[in-house]
Amino acid sequence: MEQPLLSVSDLYIKFSLRGRVLTAIRGASLDLYAGETLAIVGESGSGKTVLTKSFVGMLDANGWVDAGFIRFAGQDLAKYRGDGQWRTIRGKKIAMVFQDPMTALNPLRTVGLQIKETVELHTPLRGMAAKNRAIELLAQVGIAQPEQRYHQYPHEFSGGMRQRVVIAIAMSCSPQILICDEPTTALDVTIQAQILDLIRQLQAEYNLTVIYITHDLGVVANVASRVAVMYAGEIVECGQSREIFYNAQHPYTWALLSSLPQLGIKGQPLFSIQGTPPNLFAEIKGDAYAPRNPYALEIDFVKRPPCFQVSPTHYARTWLLDERAPRIDPPEAIKHLRAKFVEGAACR
Amino acid sequence: MPIEREVLMEVKNLRVEFKGGSKKPFVAVDDVSFKIYRGETFGLVGESGSGKTSIGRAMVRINEVAGGEILFKGQRINGLISRELDREVTQKIQMIFQDPMASLNERAKVDYIVAEGLYNTKAYQSEAERKAMVSQALLAVGLLPEFASRFPHEFSGGQRQRIGVARALVMQPEFIIADEPISSLDVSIRAQVLNLLSELQQQRSLTYMFIAHDLSVVRFITDRVAVINRGQLVELADTEELFANPLHPYTRSLLSAVPIPDPALEQAKVIIPYDPLGHDYAVHKPLWVEVTPKHFVLGNAAEIKEYRQRLA
Amino acid sequence: MEEQALFVLAERDVADAERSGYSDYSYWGSTIRVFMKNYAAVFCLGLLIVLLVFIMVQPYLPAQRDPNEIHLSQETFRQLRNVRPGAEFWFGTNSIGQDLWARIWSGTRTSLGIGIAVASWNVLIGIIVGTLWGYVRKLERVLTEVYNVLDNIPSTIIMTLIAYMLRPSISTMVIAMGVTGWVPVSRFIRTQVIIIRDREYNLASRCLGTPTGRIITRNILPYLVSVIMLRFALAIPGAIASEVFLTYIGLGLPLHIPSLGNLINEGRQLMMIPVMRYQLIFPSVVVSLITISFYVMGNAFSDAADPRNHV
Repeated sequence: MEQPLLSVSDLYIKFSLRGRVLTAIRGASLDLYAGETLAIVGESGSGKTVLTKSFVGMLDANGWVDAGFIRFAGQDLAKYRGDGQWRTIRGKKIAMVFQDPMTALNPLRTVGLQIKETVELHTPLRGMAAKNRAIELLAQVGIAQPEQRYHQYPHEFSGGMRQRVVIAIAMSCSPQILICDEPTTALDVTIQAQILDLIRQLQAEYNLTVIYITHDLGVVANVASRVAVMYAGEIVECGQSREIFYNAQHPYTWALLSSLPQLGIKGQPLFSIQGTPPNLFAEIKGDAYAPRNPYALEIDFVKRPPCFQVSPTHYARTWLLDERAPRIDPPEAIKHLRAKFVEGAACR
Repeated sequence: MPIEREVLMEVKNLRVEFKGGSKKPFVAVDDVSFKIYRGETFGLVGESGSGKTSIGRAMVRINEVAGGEILFKGQRINGLISRELDREVTQKIQMIFQDPMASLNERAKVDYIVAEGLYNTKAYQSEAERKAMVSQALLAVGLLPEFASRFPHEFSGGQRQRIGVARALVMQPEFIIADEPISSLDVSIRAQVLNLLSELQQQRSLTYMFIAHDLSVVRFITDRVAVINRGQLVELADTEELFANPLHPYTRSLLSAVPIPDPALEQAKVIIPYDPLGHDYAVHKPLWVEVTPKHFVLGNAAEIKEYRQRLA
Repeated sequence: MEEQALFVLAERDVADAERSGYSDYSYWGSTIRVFMKNYAAVFCLGLLIVLLVFIMVQPYLPAQRDPNEIHLSQETFRQLRNVRPGAEFWFGTNSIGQDLWARIWSGTRTSLGIGIAVASWNVLIGIIVGTLWGYVRKLERVLTEVYNVLDNIPSTIIMTLIAYMLRPSISTMVIAMGVTGWVPVSRFIRTQVIIIRDREYNLASRCLGTPTGRIITRNILPYLVSVIMLRFALAIPGAIASEVFLTYIGLGLPLHIPSLGNLINEGRQLMMIPVMRYQLIFPSVVVSLITISFYVMGNAFSDAADPRNHV
């Protein structure tokens, strides 16, 4: 078995909010392999952003790693304290791209200077050399006339172009891992496809490992080689992209796939998940998804399910995979997924 | 021949401008015309900045109209109108907003938020009746009446959006403009809200205008779709017709980019780029033409001819 | 194994999930709770309450003197001038033999009264003008012009002019500070209103035909509670400072109405003589305590009133 590049095991992350403790990550375990594209899927509050922020030490001041390990390059990142330590990782080895490019850019400085600054911070290049590298980076992320664009301010760029600039900044120190947090959610579909292509291209060029955080299964299908599904702070299912789309095992993954509007039949209700996500301030007993799960077993309310291996690359946290559980077939709606999309696409 | 359907809402040559200081006004919507029939769900699709929200907001009279007319049941409702008509329109046309986190008044209880329209129209005889109407509206959107005494921040995104729907419903509207009502919701919640909207439409014979950028949702929920690009409609047709036979290059580009949640298909998909300069409109100006019955497209004579050939 | 029995489908109502996880919440309740967690602010609040109660009851306590009575020596019948603090006169006497203890509390009453009156007036008018200016587009042009005119006249000049024209009295002071004091407040409120006026929830209210008056009272002002309270809390010490300033330039209250302003002014004249400095220090300490307390409290309250800080 290949050695993982980054390995998270049994991670707990907590936040303190006005005297109450919120458990954002509850025993998440995840391996990341060099060169792959891992998509982390989940709804807001599932902890997908918190999890990846803990890889670069960017948790909010009121949050901390309570237990578990984050192994990377022979170190345990979970033990890192203080910006001094983190600076050797953040930006240098693991870089992050966020949903809203404007939050990552300083509106009062030209984009060129901002890229040049990070180049100077992370590489031995200085002055003109750094400037040339910045222009080179701009060209690499597909910005036409990089010399002219170098002297422009962020507001002179469109949303898609700004996201390219942010990617250029992230790439300036040739990181090993690039974490993209909903990089295309704020963009139009045509621009979205271009940005995804760009990241794919950079990945091939630099042998990057990419983590995508998204809630859009379309994006997942586009980019991911592996997929991790998160719910209420834990990873409920993880496997290769094909395994998740065509052979999902966890009822939550079933529900996510079933509620796709592409599978809806006009005039009939779409499949929908009832209820609301659990309150993370409260202690969660058993399976967090159980109260909303139509396939919940009694044991789901009592005991937390362990990880069941489905294949060497695929595991899921659900009691349904226990040999004592009754046999439950995945819902009819998500069987033969591809045939259904082909049908829909054929009309075009 | 099918019976001529009643036109509930009509937009004629609508123009919406935004004035930014002394500069030339920015034209958000330019010469847009369409009709919405009673009982249908009309989709308005476009990318950000295309002017789709401006059209919706002009129809609920938040945005001023710089040119053209908006007709509700044949009566003009933009500009100066009589007090009675104003009241009727306020009641009959409702809007559901995009971001449920921003569209509810955080400092008011759900009871006030839902009843806000009732206070304005004095549509109740007694306090007890008002309360009953609020409870009914909450039940209709799948919330419990006891939620009335709570504040919005105690609810999740999906619940908040349902509160937004209840606020519109309580007015007994005929026409609802839903401006990206699910785009800021989580995937698992979107279906709930979509189902709720369809269910309400059947129960109350509502007419919807559904503004969206997500074509897979639009395809599922709408009967007819108009595609808007840079403030102009480029194509309008029955939903299935539009998805089957997109004519305008912009529509084709947009359809080609729709993400498909299937790894094999998504990775094999080819995006058709759209070049706005690809049209030769120097001599022959584009016109809004009905190419085949109920299928409209924007194009000049040569383009229309080509489109007709493609359909033949 | 007894776990075996648990491997059956659970018969539970999925709708229960909808009900879970929410608590009762009240805006003011949470505001007070968050405020109470800020011990510095609670201490300041306690201090101000004690001060307020004390200055109210002080004249009725036993063995208090009249603040304007000039004390004469029993033997020489001369004024007991500049007696240093001690058992007889707790805070000493001033240069004409008046009891400083009595004068300071009487002065605090006057100054706090002026401060609260001026702050209330300025904030009230500021809110009214500011919301109309920010929200009602028809009034925007007119009010902007009015603002430009008023803002270009230095308020110190207006204040001095009015204090100079009218006979010095408490109401003169209040009028002098209130005549233009609301102008910056209204500008501040207007900016705040503009920030939130086109938020979606306000558009929603406009769609529902909610009249402007109710949009202002139900949608706009509740969002501004925290900034208004901060502004109000800072306006009280601000007004006291203005009063000190007016007294300093000789337009303050007459000496028979003690105020922190004229007490500090008297003390200031003796500042260069070390043994007499107590006449400056006592009133200054009171002014500082009031200013700091209102400042700390205002900030804490403004934080507490922001629902983002509520859990």
